[in-house]
Amino acid sequence: MPLDNVVFWVFAPISIASAVGMLVMRNAIHAALFLVVNLFCIAVMFLLLDASFLFAVQIVVYAGAIMVLFLFVIMLLGVDSGVSVRERLLGQRPLAIALAVAFIAELFVAVRAGIGFATHAPPGFEAVNQPGNTQALSEVLFREYFFPFEVTSVLLIVAAIAAMVLARRQAPAVTQAELEAHRAQVTDELEHAAAEPPA
Amino acid sequence: MRTPIAYFVMLSGILFALGTVGVLTRRNALLIFMSIELQLNAVNLALVAFSRMHNQLTGQVLAFFSMVVAAAEVVVGLAIIVAIFRRRRTIDVDDARELRW
Amino acid sequence: MVAAELVPQEAIGRASLLWLIPALPLLGAAIDLFVGRRLGRWAGWLATALVAASFLISIGVVTQLLDLPDEERLVVQHLFDWISVGDFRVGMDLRLDAVSATMILVVTGVGSLIHLYSIGYMRDDPRFGRYFAYLNLFVFFMLMLVLGANYLVLYLGWEGVGACSYLLIGFWFEEVANTEAAKKAFITTRIGDSLLLIGLATIVFKFGTLDYGEVFTGAPAVLTESAATVIALLLLAGAIGKSAQLPLHVWLPDAMAGPTPVSALIHAATMVTAGVYLVIRSVPIFELSPVALDVVAWVGILTVLFGGICALAQWDIKRVLAYSTISQLGFMFLAVGLGAYAPALFFLVAHAFYKALLFLGAGSVIHGMEGEQDLRRMGGLGRRMPWTAFTMGIGALALAGFPFLAGFFAKDIVLEIANTNERWGFYVFGSIGALLSALYVSRLWFLTFVGRPRSEAAEHAHESESLMVVPLAVLGVGAALGGVLSLGPHGWISRFVEPLVGLVPEGEEGIPGPAFLVIAVGITFAGLLVAWWVYASGRVDWHRLRERLEPLPRAALHGWYVDRAYDAVIVQPAKALAGITANVVDAKGIDGLVNAIGGGTRRLARSGRLLQTGFVRSYALVVFAGAVAVLLYVGSRL
Repeated sequence: MPLDNVVFWVFAPISIASAVGMLVMRNAIHAALFLVVNLFCIAVMFLLLDASFLFAVQIVVYAGAIMVLFLFVIMLLGVDSGVSVRERLLGQRPLAIALAVAFIAELFVAVRAGIGFATHAPPGFEAVNQPGNTQALSEVLFREYFFPFEVTSVLLIVAAIAAMVLARRQAPAVTQAELEAHRAQVTDELEHAAAEPPA
Repeated sequence: MRTPIAYFVMLSGILFALGTVGVLTRRNALLIFMSIELQLNAVNLALVAFSRMHNQLTGQVLAFFSMVVAAAEVVVGLAIIVAIFRRRRTIDVDDARELRW
Repeated sequence: MVAAELVPQEAIGRASLLWLIPALPLLGAAIDLFVGRRLGRWAGWLATALVAASFLISIGVVTQLLDLPDEERLVVQHLFDWISVGDFRVGMDLRLDAVSATMILVVTGVGSLIHLYSIGYMRDDPRFGRYFAYLNLFVFFMLMLVLGANYLVLYLGWEGVGACSYLLIGFWFEEVANTEAAKKAFITTRIGDSLLLIGLATIVFKFGTLDYGEVFTGAPAVLTESAATVIALLLLAGAIGKSAQLPLHVWLPDAMAGPTPVSALIHAATMVTAGVYLVIRSVPIFELSPVALDVVAWVGILTVLFGGICALAQWDIKRVLAYSTISQLGFMFLAVGLGAYAPALFFLVAHAFYKALLFLGAGSVIHGMEGEQDLRRMGGLGRRMPWTAFTMGIGALALAGFPFLAGFFAKDIVLEIANTNERWGFYVFGSIGALLSALYVSRLWFLTFVGRPRSEAAEHAHESESLMVVPLAVLGVGAALGGVLSLGPHGWISRFVEPLVGLVPEGEEGIPGPAFLVIAVGITFAGLLVAWWVYASGRVDWHRLRERLEPLPRAALHGWYVDRAYDAVIVQPAKALAGITANVVDAKGIDGLVNAIGGGTRRLARSGRLLQTGFVRSYALVVFAGAVAVLLYVGSRL
């Protein structure tokens, strides 16, 4: 059994198990930790597929940055956040599981008919990855996909601004009518005070 | 590499299906969001697998872009969840159902 | 019988000013409409001056036309292309020939006198400027009507004068009755106008053009007798509406709601003659259809009798003149129907003079009586308003056919042409009509000016200002001497227009010449004498006489209840039908259908919206189910 087969068969069950674990955990923090495990497993799969750059990005960006953000928000909002786990939509859970099973079955049929389970990756990927995966990827990214790459920077800035705007704590707005009412009340009181002689 | 490509694709499909089940069954907005991340990663895995199969880097580039977009999405999504929590004191998606008859 | 269409000449020399004739009144209308309020009294003087200038230019242009030899008396001036669609072209063309020359002289001449009179008559009106704007606009449209070189320009003027007539009848729109009268005039003439428009469409269909020259030269070759009859009758329908002939005459008596000078200008001297003009203009088409000409003659003679009888029974001074106008227009139609186009045109000119004179005189009387129009409350005004009485007397005598005044010649020629063996019916009825006109007009005059004052207002009546009397005097001269234009069937005006419309037909004389003359004059004097005996001699109690003749006078007073008949036969059923369509077909049927569609959608939506539970996870489940279904479809095709 070749080494990469061994690696696959070790990490694939772990990733599925961690995904299932994430689904069933009541505690959001536990679920998040299961997701981290799952992301690590996927990173390993990237490595198996000769995508070493994405392997690194997966660990740094996903398992690192994004999951930290998740945990941060979970902490901010409180662990249970007042959410019940009881299902109140009739048939939602069985239907979801049935559809997922159907989806996997369909995919199985489609993959067997399309790719076939005996097909191995063709040789020659080393040539594509010359001189290394990171360099080769940057060639493609900055030559063929330069413009989309630049656009993503705009997207990120917009996202950052949006997050700031959305999460900002706003002072309750005061309407013109309320101001007016307040002013009238003050004047009333003043007149009242003037009309009544001081005791 | 001796592992057939189809195995990776099937793994990707299984993870995607599990992520979907998570989206459909959990009521906590944060957990739904994590399930969406799981779906995204499953798709990324499929993209990288196809990239390997066709001896091309385009699939990896696409996966890279999807990670960038996912990052942006997470930022905005979490901010929305925080804003919702501030207003309603809950992030139960079943409570936010004003858009109906 | 009809002369060939003349070859059009270039508009050179004075004739090149032709376009100015309608343009000046249009300019006046524009100025008075926009700044008339600021001009004050000058608005009236400006309008008068511009129409008078048009009159002077008309004289200049017509004298140049007279200098040309007979066969060259046709000038066409092309101003610009109006419509140009494929092969169909209509130009804004003006055409000056003997007929239109006569018409523009009448329109601008009588028109400027009436403008002058209006300055005095409308002195205190708050909408002084607007009145003159409308009046000028009317003159513009009337000139376009008579000067147009094709039927479309004629139609432009035709509708334009109709609109101006509407505006002026309802000029004092504060009174509901006036606006009702304006509406009635507009809608009634519209019946004829619509048929005229169909007639024009038929001409386009047959000839591919509306140009007079091409239509008239092509008519004998293109039209069969039946086609000519159809077109001629459609044109005649338009003419009947505009000229208030039976059965579309009902609007004219009510049109007296407008200011009196308007009645003089529009509803006596010019616009109502447009129908006669149209028929004379279309002679080459009418000539092809003896049936149409017979219809014209019969419509004419029936209208003569109808109008005359109604005029005899009216109490309102203006309504007498209105029915008189209907009757006189009937004479013109009779002349045209008998093929006597030149005499018809002469009748038109003479009538313009004496009817304008009578109306302006009536206006002067009304003015002097502080708005009183009822003949029963007048009487003895001759001493207080001598000028008005004198000039109106001339007008009345002219209308009655007193020897050597304009009306005498006009009526005489028409009867003379009818005086043939095969047309003796027209002759007899025409003579009765002449007797009636002598009767009603002298009745009018005697009741107004002779006897003792029958009311407070009549005792204190006063002569009008000179601004109003001068036009009366000028028109009086015209009414008296207009006859020189036409001494006998071959008078000056006949020779002028004969190259265009052909000679007056001659038949075997029925009654020999001298006897005919004696009868004609005798009829006039008989009418005058009877009226004098009844209304002025003081020997007859005309109130009791009238009572003895009841119910005839009452029926005549109400125009033989034609209005009521129209109301019962047409208006009420139409209203009922409209009510049915509005309240049943529209409200229940069409609205019901619309409401059913709307209500059905609403009901469907009411049940459909239950699908929207608001649970976002339910929506997601459905989306996922869709994805699975799509995958199933895709997978099954692998």
